[in-house]
Amino acid sequence: MPKKISFIAFALFAAIFLAGCTGPSAWPGLAASDKVAYLAHTNAVFAVDVNTGAELWQFSVGGGFLGSNPSLFVTTPVLTEDELLIVPDSGNKHTLYALDTNDITSDKTPNIAWTFSDVKGHWVAPPLVVDDRLFAPNSDGNVYVLDLTDGRTEKSAIEKIELSGESETNRLWAQPVSDGTRIFVTSLDHRIFAINLETYAIEWQHQLDAAVPGAPVLGADGMLYVGSLASKLERFDPATGDHESVKDTNDWVWGTPVTDGDNLYFGDVAGYFYSYNTKTGDWNFDPIQLDGAITASPLIVDDQILVATESGNVYSVLKDGSDFGVWYHPDQEGNVYSTPVLSGDYILVAYLQSDYYFVTLDRDGDVKRTFPEK
Amino acid sequence: MKNPGNQTQQAQLPENPAELFKGSWKTFLVIGVLFVAFTNFNFIIDLMINIMIFIYGLVGRNFGLALILFTVLIRVLTWPLNAQQMKGQQAMQELQNDKEWIAVQKKYAKDKEKLAQEQFRIQRERGVNVFGSCLPMLIQFPILFALIPAINYAIGSGPLSILNLSRRLYDFQNAAELVPLNSKFLWMDMGLPERTEIFGFAIPVLALIVALTTYLQSKLTMPPSANPNDQSAQTAKIMSIQMPIMLFLFSVNYASGLSIYFIASNLLGIIQYAATGRVNWRSLLPGGDKNPPAKK
Repeated sequence: MPKKISFIAFALFAAIFLAGCTGPSAWPGLAASDKVAYLAHTNAVFAVDVNTGAELWQFSVGGGFLGSNPSLFVTTPVLTEDELLIVPDSGNKHTLYALDTNDITSDKTPNIAWTFSDVKGHWVAPPLVVDDRLFAPNSDGNVYVLDLTDGRTEKSAIEKIELSGESETNRLWAQPVSDGTRIFVTSLDHRIFAINLETYAIEWQHQLDAAVPGAPVLGADGMLYVGSLASKLERFDPATGDHESVKDTNDWVWGTPVTDGDNLYFGDVAGYFYSYNTKTGDWNFDPIQLDGAITASPLIVDDQILVATESGNVYSVLKDGSDFGVWYHPDQEGNVYSTPVLSGDYILVAYLQSDYYFVTLDRDGDVKRTFPEK
Repeated sequence: MKNPGNQTQQAQLPENPAELFKGSWKTFLVIGVLFVAFTNFNFIIDLMINIMIFIYGLVGRNFGLALILFTVLIRVLTWPLNAQQMKGQQAMQELQNDKEWIAVQKKYAKDKEKLAQEQFRIQRERGVNVFGSCLPMLIQFPILFALIPAINYAIGSGPLSILNLSRRLYDFQNAAELVPLNSKFLWMDMGLPERTEIFGFAIPVLALIVALTTYLQSKLTMPPSANPNDQSAQTAKIMSIQMPIMLFLFSVNYASGLSIYFIASNLLGIIQYAATGRVNWRSLLPGGDKNPPAKK
């Protein structure tokens, strides 16, 4: 008996030790309508009433053999116009689920409208809806185009756009963006692609010096901007692909820049916050050093820019950079890597390695509630 | 009449107090190494990650191959410790076949204290250090404990894994150029638990291979005992079942890169043991010869 106990104790010790070795591999995905927050966190997707904090429903998938093949929901959910919530499973099941947010069962689970799983890699990038089509980049290096109106419950791709051939580092992790005639897709294999929306042909591609984990953004000047792990802000002509590295940053740029008029706002993983003027080609002000890595995109709320850092703090920076400070300081441990989301009058901030999954703040930075409730 | 207990007690205490520490320097060394290792755990993890990534760059960005070569490197570096462990096991095995040892066990089967004293006496007389096999094993613990998170950090396939990896790479490694690592090896993504679909079922094939090779290693390297009721023989037998189960459960749940390490390490362990000429292939057969071949 003591041998059995010692074995169990050793196994438990080892399991706990190993489980705590490296922690999670991805951060949660948060999206919201005016009234409902959708959170992809670890093994489940939650729908939460923003005004009351009540959980409306929860979606998860069985774990398979010994519960060891669980689904992993970490990608930012995407809500379509007909209120289907697209949630990619980043685990080994390789399945893209469309959940009908208007068809909830009595046990508070949404019915699955359709699935798509004819892929070889993991889902990390949120898909992009353009008209009636879904453009879904996968870690196998392909963008899959689905017809949202074909009425099928098990979708097949109407087009598979092969971007990176047999490369094993061709993971597509960022949501594409569209200028109306083409979509732009970034890849961890250091490339950026422009794909014609009608023909699905690659119009141009460009090799950068390092991986591009974030999505690009179209500036007010009509140019395409994206940050890269080469610690640079890159600019492309969306029509021709002409490229220029416009600014060096202190460290990797992970999050997608946001635009406000002629200005771009973004951060780097060394914690520097930047404001770039697309008209003058200069920084609007010297980079501001915050207290943790910035992987999320900033959120513009009224006349301030909210910037979440890995430390868990959310900073408020005035648009002209003349003042900044901690806008929200959590009362417990937790990291922020996901972009804060505006929902009605509230700002939602998702936390990782915290007692709660996200916090609901008013526009003064005061906590209204947490999910789950503390 | 002399008290036999006191007699044994006197026999344990040397006339020169310095003798008390004779042979203990290894113990102190091991304790010192363990202390240094556990107080600089992150340094060891970072060192291992950087060696793995360096090898990854050398072998054409194939992390599976890099991991196997890294396992070979670890095995080579710990070769003296493993050899010492095997030597200790061999000495213990010979002791268990010793007539006096067997007789003492029978004689004092119901007097555990006396049995321990007599066993200790025989060990001293035969020059067998009971820690000869477990101290080298202890010193490998920090290596194993650091290796597992190091592999997890290096092959993590999510965004946060890449961010954390970049923070652990030394300056000479061009992190921006290196990431993302190519974690594909054979049919698997080494950053995730492996499953192979067979007849519609997701089977953890690699975890099964881990369990099999672990079992084979313990069967092939387990010293046979003349007395099957001997406590250490029973413990070894139980361990030969428990370890494969435990490593199977780990492998089912953790990144398949860890499984690659376990398999490579098990196979190299068998090769190393076979190189000493003591591996007993017949022990794999039901009712096979329990006696190992004589050392060449």
